[in-house]
Amino acid sequence: MTTVDEERPAPPELAPARRVRPTPATALYDAFGPRGRRRVLVATVVSVAVLAGFAVFVLYRLDRYGHLQRARWSYVLSPEILRYLGEGMLNNLKASVIAGALALVLGLVLALGRLSGTRAIRVPAVAWIEFFRGFPLVLLILFPYLLFPVYLRAVDPLWYVVIGLTLYNSAVIAEVYRAGILSLDRGQQEAAYAVGLRHGQAMRLVILPQAIRRMVPLLLTQLIILFKDSTLGVAVTYPDALRRGETMGSFEPRVVFQAIIVTAVMFFLVGLVASRLVGVLERHWSRG
Amino acid sequence: MNGVDFLADSLPVFWAGFRITVLLALASYAGALILGAVLAVLRISPAAPARAAGLAYVEWFRNVPLLVHLFVAILCLPKLGVRIGPFTAAFLVLAMYTAAQVCEALRSGVNAVPRGQAEAGRALGLTFGQNLRHVILPQAARTVVPPLGSVFIALVKNTAVASLIGVVDLTYQFGELARDEPGQVMTLLVAVAFGYLVMTIPAGYAVARLQRRAAVAR
Amino acid sequence: MTDPSTPLIAVEHVDKWFGSLHVLRDVNLDVRRGEVVVVVGPSGSGKSTLCRVINRIEPIDSGVIRVDGRPLPAEGRALARLRADVGMVFQQFNLFSHRSILDNVTLGPVKVRGIPREQARRRARELLARVGIADQADKMPAQLSGGQQQRAAIARALAMDPKVLLFDEPTSALDPEMINEVLDVMTTLAGDGMTMVVVTHEMGFARRAADRVVFMADGQLLEQAPPTDFFDHPRTDRARDFLSKVLTH
Ligand SMILES: Nc1ncnc2c1ncn2[C@@H]1O[C@H](COP(=O)(O)OP(=O)(O)OP(=O)(O)O)[C@@H](O)[C@H]1O
Ligand SMILES: [Mg+2]
Repeated sequence: MTTVDEERPAPPELAPARRVRPTPATALYDAFGPRGRRRVLVATVVSVAVLAGFAVFVLYRLDRYGHLQRARWSYVLSPEILRYLGEGMLNNLKASVIAGALALVLGLVLALGRLSGTRAIRVPAVAWIEFFRGFPLVLLILFPYLLFPVYLRAVDPLWYVVIGLTLYNSAVIAEVYRAGILSLDRGQQEAAYAVGLRHGQAMRLVILPQAIRRMVPLLLTQLIILFKDSTLGVAVTYPDALRRGETMGSFEPRVVFQAIIVTAVMFFLVGLVASRLVGVLERHWSRG
Repeated sequence: MNGVDFLADSLPVFWAGFRITVLLALASYAGALILGAVLAVLRISPAAPARAAGLAYVEWFRNVPLLVHLFVAILCLPKLGVRIGPFTAAFLVLAMYTAAQVCEALRSGVNAVPRGQAEAGRALGLTFGQNLRHVILPQAARTVVPPLGSVFIALVKNTAVASLIGVVDLTYQFGELARDEPGQVMTLLVAVAFGYLVMTIPAGYAVARLQRRAAVAR
Repeated sequence: MTDPSTPLIAVEHVDKWFGSLHVLRDVNLDVRRGEVVVVVGPSGSGKSTLCRVINRIEPIDSGVIRVDGRPLPAEGRALARLRADVGMVFQQFNLFSHRSILDNVTLGPVKVRGIPREQARRRARELLARVGIADQADKMPAQLSGGQQQRAAIARALAMDPKVLLFDEPTSALDPEMINEVLDVMTTLAGDGMTMVVVTHEMGFARRAADRVVFMADGQLLEQAPPTDFFDHPRTDRARDFLSKVLTH
């Protein structure tokens, strides 16, 4: 059967070829009917009850062991102690900033190395990346701590933390950059060659600026992880917030519980705010 | 003593540590998969308080560093009359910490299934359960396997943190041996590196392969 | 229930909102057994929504929809059973991307109707032959062209032996050269007496296959008429305006 549609070619605004309505997230559930809504209500009530029960249980336990005593909390939340812990947090930040900056640079070098056409450059870059990525970070912090006194001389623990964080994150960040470069479509590269740029120029002027811009949210997310990982400095006696929280507990044993919880909450707030900011940035950029 | 003899002597110690590391990783992964699935159900539940609880859990475990959780388990729990050894503490914390990652992997897998697929299933007359089983979960599974592999690799590496609360794993044994024989640190380094890379690198390649397979299948 | 005089689909005083957007306004529509109703209208007028409320992929806010005399169940097994009797073909095909074409076609019969697998497979192959893609049975959906996928989707719907088939712009996502292969299948179905509700911009198909053309604008059903009347003597300004844009003479 043949059809001759003399009437077909319609004006563009009425010929919706390939127009797809943006699909909202999960389509798991059908629209709820009365019974469905009743079930959701029951589930809501049950989950509130379970959560309330859990909260009551925790509060009861806390109270029974005296952890709700005002004095304990006000001791830990006093300005001096908060300052003491806050300075610990600044030590986390210090190690993170140094290691983060180093890892961003080193990671870029490694990524370019891994994408290089020269075997002699590519192979060591791949080896470095695969080796340090596959390694537990604690060990990378412990190595310099153990090696330095034997082969060179002991240095400030800060540097053991920085070295460990840098080695590990240079490998992780290299892969972030590489993914960014590879995700740019070939057209960009070809266009760059077409206007007469050489490989190095194309990378520097066209590919990298776009790849890095695209990767900024991921890089920032990795830097937040790096910051959290700086707590592993505890392994080499670096006086970070966690170590200070722990030490406080050892000279005032009655507040160990409060000290650790306050430290945890501090990390939680910093991490939450930082990752929310990255989220905002990401949405802002994907729109603009 | 030369490096080879030293290594031969310390092999049993390394082996003991390696076994603890493997055991800790596998046990926590199993726990994390189960708990993570429960959390994912909460996170996509139509009941708002369940969703909120799931979200709070995930945010807490995502934003507080692992070592802090471990300290909470060994320093705070005893103050509540809960006494657990370092291995149990590490197992529970690693399972709970990793469960948050598992939950997010599962959730994004389900959300990645296009809405039209679920609608087509419904339009055929599949019930909620049938649609889940025959249409949504099989497709979610494909996107979920590679991230779950990465989660496992991260977990293997994270087990090393447990050595800081006294779990006698590979890293712990390495530290002990290095303190006893500072001159042999380089040899020990090679050995412990081998211990971890032997787990993480093959797992990494397995994940990459699964990723390619999943990419081809669609 | 199967009194031939009751309309197969009865849409009575149906209203639907998306938030503050009134997408269906007091819509009334009857579809008789064996009838082919083509729904046309400008973009955003609510055609897809009308199509989707008939098997409750979208719920309605007020009014009644009956299929074969029975009001649409709100949920659960009863709704699933009803949907099994109302086939649906989507603009984006929505073939199950993890299953072969054959498995796409057998899934419903086996899981919903409880038909033995072998029997379902035989039937599926017949249907695939009928829509002209018998040789594609063992491929995955992504390996087929758009036109072939849409024909497979039609076979999948037919496999349920539906009382009625709903089509929501079945050719809008297709490259021009594939549109006719799908329209041909639909025209044949219409000729075979299948009850169909078709949302489409293909006016040629409407002229050729429709028993009745329904014109929608702003969520309202403004005109219903046999195709020749509608195309040659539209009664409302909206319809005249619409036709003047769609039909290029
Ligand atoms: N899920 C939804 N949520 C909110 N608004 C929606 C939704 N689906 C459709 N709409 C809106 O409802 C109106 C009617 O949509 P519908 O898809 O039914 O129109 P249509 O006639 O099929 O248009 P088209 O020819 O573009 O497919 C449109 O304004 C659309 O933006
Ligand atoms: Mg539409």
